[in-house]
Amino acid sequence: MKATWLSNRCAALAAAIAVLLWASPGLAHHAFSAEFDANKPVHLEGVVTKVEFINPHAWIHIDVDGTDGKVSSWMIEAGSPNVLLRRGFTKNTVVPGTRVVVDGYQAKDGSLRANGRDIRLPDGRKLFLGSSGTGAPYDEKK
Amino acid sequence: MSPLEACRWLEGTRGSIALHESIWVYPIVESVHVLTLCLFLGLTVMIDLRLLGAGLLETPVSKVIRRLGPWMLAGFAVMVVSGALLFYAVPVKTYLNIFFRLKMTFLLMAGLNVAVFHFTTSRTMPRWDLDRKPPLRVRLAGGVSLLLWAAVAVCGRMIAYNWFDKIPTALPR
Repeated sequence: MKATWLSNRCAALAAAIAVLLWASPGLAHHAFSAEFDANKPVHLEGVVTKVEFINPHAWIHIDVDGTDGKVSSWMIEAGSPNVLLRRGFTKNTVVPGTRVVVDGYQAKDGSLRANGRDIRLPDGRKLFLGSSGTGAPYDEKK
Repeated sequence: MSPLEACRWLEGTRGSIALHESIWVYPIVESVHVLTLCLFLGLTVMIDLRLLGAGLLETPVSKVIRRLGPWMLAGFAVMVVSGALLFYAVPVKTYLNIFFRLKMTFLLMAGLNVAVFHFTTSRTMPRWDLDRKPPLRVRLAGGVSLLLWAAVAVCGRMIAYNWFDKIPTALPR
């Protein structure tokens, strides 16, 4: 009798842990609106200088040629490695030197950081960069 | 080696790379950190409320600490280990994060508060063990603890944001 009770408890615990583990990667690490401005869309064409395929958010660094000839270095925030891999985006999808086009939203503080929405690769592929459920504009339209 | 250089070195170690590039382990460690925070902070709040004279008043202070303490410490231990792993995964960005530095400061202060209570204030416990409203020093320890641990938790949450980050200029290509 006690054994059944125990195994029921264990099963319940295992189920609870399973639910938590399943849910946790989908949780937004932070809210879009706290850091980025939906009213500041940016369209950036540049060369990738560095890719940080890291938790909790990947970062793609790109050098963008301005119309005045000045180069500005942007940091583009993307989803977590887990989210990116499920969309077919691996560590080697974008390597330094690749020319890319990124659409996203600039940081509220005006720094050269943006929340990435899509990235267009030289072969024409277009990949969705963002994490889901953060409240970013592309979430709401879906 | 400066702390920043040490963090850069740490970030390049195999374990750190495996963690920050991981698909499942990082989110699991992150979840464990938050879940053990619930255990630790929840019980800490109950002990602090007893010290403040605001809760569990029918139970002697010593009994509250004896009953809840071990669970609180177990939560604390796993929380510290999982927190250290989160730092190990992303050392440079974390080290440069203003909220991480604030959190460590509050953590140190909270630790000092515990040490003062444990080594001095609690020595006279037999005199106020049964008091519904313990002496001022005891209530102060409870109140300060509540405020500091709340500050630690809030700062921990804020590390997720990149506000005031120095990263764009601080990181070499």
